[in-house]
Amino acid sequence: MVASAPALTLPLDRAGKKAEDRELVRLSQDGNESAFEELVRRHQQRVFALVGGILRRPEDLEDVAQQVFLKAYLGIRRFDQRAAFSTWLYKIAVNECWDYLRKKKVRPLVYEADLSEEQVSRLDGIVSADRPPESASARAETRQVLERMLSALPEQDRQLLVLKEMEGFSVQELADILNLNVNTVKVRLFRARGRIMDVYRRRIASGGKTAGSQSAPRKG
Amino acid sequence: MATEKDLGNSACSSYEAVLEDYIGGTLGAADARIAEEHWQNCASCRDAVERAVASVRMLRLAGPSEGPGPAFARTVMARIRSGEQDRMIERAGFWQPLVRLGWQFAAAATIVLCMLVSYDAGWGRRTQPDVTTARLNGVSDLFAPDPAKAPANRDEVLMMVAETSHAK
Repeated sequence: MVASAPALTLPLDRAGKKAEDRELVRLSQDGNESAFEELVRRHQQRVFALVGGILRRPEDLEDVAQQVFLKAYLGIRRFDQRAAFSTWLYKIAVNECWDYLRKKKVRPLVYEADLSEEQVSRLDGIVSADRPPESASARAETRQVLERMLSALPEQDRQLLVLKEMEGFSVQELADILNLNVNTVKVRLFRARGRIMDVYRRRIASGGKTAGSQSAPRKG
Repeated sequence: MATEKDLGNSACSSYEAVLEDYIGGTLGAADARIAEEHWQNCASCRDAVERAVASVRMLRLAGPSEGPGPAFARTVMARIRSGEQDRMIERAGFWQPLVRLGWQFAAAATIVLCMLVSYDAGWGRRTQPDVTTARLNGVSDLFAPDPAKAPANRDEVLMMVAETSHAK
């Protein structure tokens, strides 16, 4: 029997939060700036995660995230609340990311997928322990190593895995945000999982390679 | 089972979405039983599920990315407010020539109106005969020649004609 994966801790009062969002949106549509500021506070973490997951350019992350909320503010009077505010906002975020990449004529920052021997052994230790590192610096390092490994995957596979497993987006949210069928998202996710484990096992088997520097952004 | 294999993944393609639901914990009990029965007889699917579960464990070790700083919302609102001000200035700038033209027209109209009123009240009246005053002074016909300058007899008429002719 296969052990099931640990479930993400999702907010229990999701329906309540959505109702509160609706009210805040209504107030914002009437010109209440404090209500919009509250919406920013509620969604800034996930917008950051989404933009970061797509762009992987920390130096531009905050600027793009601010632009997302500016566009949301300008368009909120036209938002009819048929979809959830979060879905609408995340779609703005995804479009803003593509706009940004097109204007800057760069692709998402690409890391060298190869890992050093030391990084491979450290990752192997963390995976074997099956427990997240305790210190913030160790967590950041683990994340960096995992992101390097994820770079070996096709861009869409990488994005799906990062947003689903690292940032906690649901399959339904990913389907809405990326304009994909729910079943398509499930199948792609499942295949991407197999691929990332193949990459991991190959790295472990080879003991890693010495190249490990972050590459410059590729001009589009 | 082997006929359903996808080259990029070892699981049966018709089970991939179901297996994804299974590892995500969103599959109903009955469907989960069907999925379990399937991979007990399908080594490829069993291997694929094991790898998928391992991937979930591995990727979640990193945890979510760091969020924005505490000042982020305030910065966003400041940008929104400055943008609003810019838009208001821009909107005002669009109508500014029309507003200026309107003021110029109003000023010109006021000046013209003042001139008309002052003409009517003073200067105009001075150049025109005052009928009421004339009547009070006993002048019977304003349009009749001045009695002081009118010839009194035939000699005066002849003198006036002669003066006129001489003047020419």
